Amino acid sequence: MATHEKVDVVIVGAGASGSVFAAVMAGQGKKVVILEQGPDWQPTDLISSDIWGRRVKPVAGPFLLEGKHPVSYGNQGGWGVGGAALHYFANFPRLLPNDFRIKSEHNRAHDWPIGYQDVAPYYDKVARDVGVSGDAKAEEIWRPAGDPYPMPPMKTFRNGDIWLKGFEANGIRMVPAAVGMNSVAFKGRPPCIYDGWCHVGCPIGALANPLVTYLGDARKAGAEVRPFATVTRVLSNDAGDRVTGVEYYDRAGERQVQEASAVVLAAWAAQNPRLMLNSATARHAKGLANASGLVGKYLMTHFASGTFAIFDEDVDNHMGTTGAQWMSYERYGKTSHKDAFGSTFIVAGFALKTNDLGGIANARLDLFGPALDAFMKRAARGMTRITAFGEELPNIDNRIELTSDKDAFGMPLARMIHTYDKDVEAVWNANIEEGVKVAKAAGAKEVWSARGVIPTIHLMGGTIMGTGAANSVVNSYGQTHEIPNLYVAGPGIFATAGASNPTYTIFALSLRGAEHLAANWKTVAG
Amino acid sequence: MHTIERRRFMHGAALGALAFTVGGVETLLTPREARAQAVPLRTLRPEEAETLEALGETLVPGARQAGIVHFVDQQISVKPEEALLEARILNVRPPYVNFYRAALAAVERASTAVNGKRFAQLDAASQHDFVDRMRQNKIDGWQGPAGSFVYLVTRSDAVDVVYGTTEGYARLEIPYMAHIEPKTRW
Repeated sequence: MATHEKVDVVIVGAGASGSVFAAVMAGQGKKVVILEQGPDWQPTDLISSDIWGRRVKPVAGPFLLEGKHPVSYGNQGGWGVGGAALHYFANFPRLLPNDFRIKSEHNRAHDWPIGYQDVAPYYDKVARDVGVSGDAKAEEIWRPAGDPYPMPPMKTFRNGDIWLKGFEANGIRMVPAAVGMNSVAFKGRPPCIYDGWCHVGCPIGALANPLVTYLGDARKAGAEVRPFATVTRVLSNDAGDRVTGVEYYDRAGERQVQEASAVVLAAWAAQNPRLMLNSATARHAKGLANASGLVGKYLMTHFASGTFAIFDEDVDNHMGTTGAQWMSYERYGKTSHKDAFGSTFIVAGFALKTNDLGGIANARLDLFGPALDAFMKRAARGMTRITAFGEELPNIDNRIELTSDKDAFGMPLARMIHTYDKDVEAVWNANIEEGVKVAKAAGAKEVWSARGVIPTIHLMGGTIMGTGAANSVVNSYGQTHEIPNLYVAGPGIFATAGASNPTYTIFALSLRGAEHLAANWKTVAG
Repeated sequence: MHTIERRRFMHGAALGALAFTVGGVETLLTPREARAQAVPLRTLRPEEAETLEALGETLVPGARQAGIVHFVDQQISVKPEEALLEARILNVRPPYVNFYRAALAAVERASTAVNGKRFAQLDAASQHDFVDRMRQNKIDGWQGPAGSFVYLVTRSDAVDVVYGTTEGYARLEIPYMAHIEPKTRW
C-alpha cells in the first residue's frame, strides 16, 4: 500500500460535476487530484460509431438493478474521464421556479432549500464558461429573465421543423432549444457540423463535454487526473468530524491512499451513496454522513414518452444533433395534465442513426426479418420523433443499499431498487396521447408511440440536499451536514427531479458548490 | 481550452476492425471478413454458433454473412470493459458469455420441445414463428433468460452487424458522416 502526499482536494470522478470543482479549486491555486475509475479518454478516442461508442459507458458489474422499473445504468452512466457528460446530448434546459417549491405550492414531495433565484446566476455563468446556443428571450415566456446566451440558436432541419405545425395546433409553443453546443466558433472551439454523432462523443469540441471545458481548464491550472483509480472508501478521523482522504485501487490492483484536506464525491448518483455507505466507521455506523439514514434514498429518474412518425417526404433525419432543435416548457406546470402530477419538458428534432438503443431499428422493436428491413428503408427517409420528458417525484423506497456480495476490490455490490408510481404512469400516458395528436396535426403518414415498459432516463437523488440532517444528506452547496470537509456533487444532490435534462443544472450547482468551498476554504478545510 | 481541428480527426481513423487470431497471429478484421476466412471461434461452441447464426439471420436478413457469430464470439472473449455489445448498455451482468450460453441453450431447449428439432434445423417459416412467440414470452415451458430479453439482445447484435456499419448505412443510402471514421467498414 502506498500513501500519497497530502493534497488540498481529492475529487472522486472526472465527469461533469467533478470537473467543475477541479477547475474552480485548481484555479484558486489548490493542489487537486481527480481519481477516475476508467480510462483517460481523449477526443481522438471518440469514434463515430454506435458500436464503438459503448466503450465510454459503464459495465453493470457493481450494481444489481431491481424494482419494476430498473434504472438504465449502463446506458445512462459514464466510464472514464468525462463521465456521462462525454456522451450526453447537451440539451441545456434549466429547472424552473416551480421545481424548487413543490411542497409549498402543492404539498407534495419537498422543497429545495434554495430557490430558482439562487441558481439562475450560475446558469448564466456556466453558459459563458462552456458555451450555450439558444434564444434566452424566447424562453422567458416561461421563466424569469436572465442573461442572453452567448451564441445564437443552432440550425434546424426538416426533421425538427416538420413538427411545428402540429405543436401549434395543440397550443404548444416551441422555441429554439438551449444546447451546450457551438452554433458558431466559441473560445477557440469550432462550430457544430450537424452530423449527429454527439451521443458517442464529440471529438471536435463543438459540444461542451468536460474534456474541452472545465476539465481542460482544471488541467491547465495544474489539476492531476489519475485514470483507472477505483475509490473504495472515504477515510475519516477518529472523532468522525473530518474526512482525511480516500482509499483507492490503481490499475495494477494495488491499494493506495490519497490524503486530502477536503474530499469531493463526484462519482454520479449511483456510486456516491455506495461509497458513503461503504465508508462506515464506529462514529458513522450507518455510513458516512448518514445520521439521517437518507444516504442512498430518494433515487429519481426521468421518463420519456416518445412519439414516432413517418412523413411522406425526406426529412433529412441524418442531419442535426442528438440533442434537440426545438423545446417547450408549455406542459411544465405540475398539474398541466388532468389527474397526472408532475412536469413535462418537450423536445423535437434529432439526428437519427441506424442502431443502438435510440436508433431507427429500435423505433419498431416488434419488427424483425424482412419486415424490419422494409421498415428500415422507409424510415431512413421519412421518420422523425418527438420526446416528452416527465418528472418522477422522490420516493424513499427508491434506493441504493449495499449487499453482502463483493466486487474485485472487496467492496460490497449495491442493489439499486426503482419503481415508478401512479403519477408517473399518468403523466407518461398523457404525454403519449398528446404526442400522437401533435403528430397527426403535423400531417404524419404513420404515427406510433414507444409503449411497453416505462423507460428510466437520467439518474438523480440518493444524497439529496435539504435544510438539515433530519431531512437530507447535504446542504445546498453539496456540503454534507455532518462532515464539513466532505462534499457531494452531481445529480445526486437534487432534491427533486424536475423534467429538464439535468446536466446544465449539475454544472450550475457544482459551480455554486465549488465557489462556496473556495470562499470558505479556511473554515472548511483549514 | 483546447483548439481542436476537425481536419486532424477526419484523417485520424483508427481502432475500427476487431482483433481476431488467424494462424496464431492477431490481425484486424471485420466480422464479415472473419467469417469469410473461417477464423476459428474462441469461446462459442459449434452448436451455439449454429444457433446464433440461424437466430441472427431470422432477426435481420444478412446477419449470417455479416458475421454475427464472429462478432459476438470476439466480444464475449475480451474483458467486459472492452466489449462493444449492446448487452453492455442493457445491463447484462458480465461475464457476457454466461448470458449468451444461457440464452442460446434456452432457444435450443424450447425449439426441441416445441418443434422436435434444433432451431437451426427449422424451416424459415417455423424459425420466424418461433422468434415471434419468443419475443412475446409466449413459449410454454421456456427456461432461461426471458425470451423477450433474448430477442432484444440478439436482435441488437444482428442490427449492429447489418445496419450499424458503414456498409449498412450505405445500403440504406444514409450518409455516415463520421468525425472519426471507423476503420474499413465499421
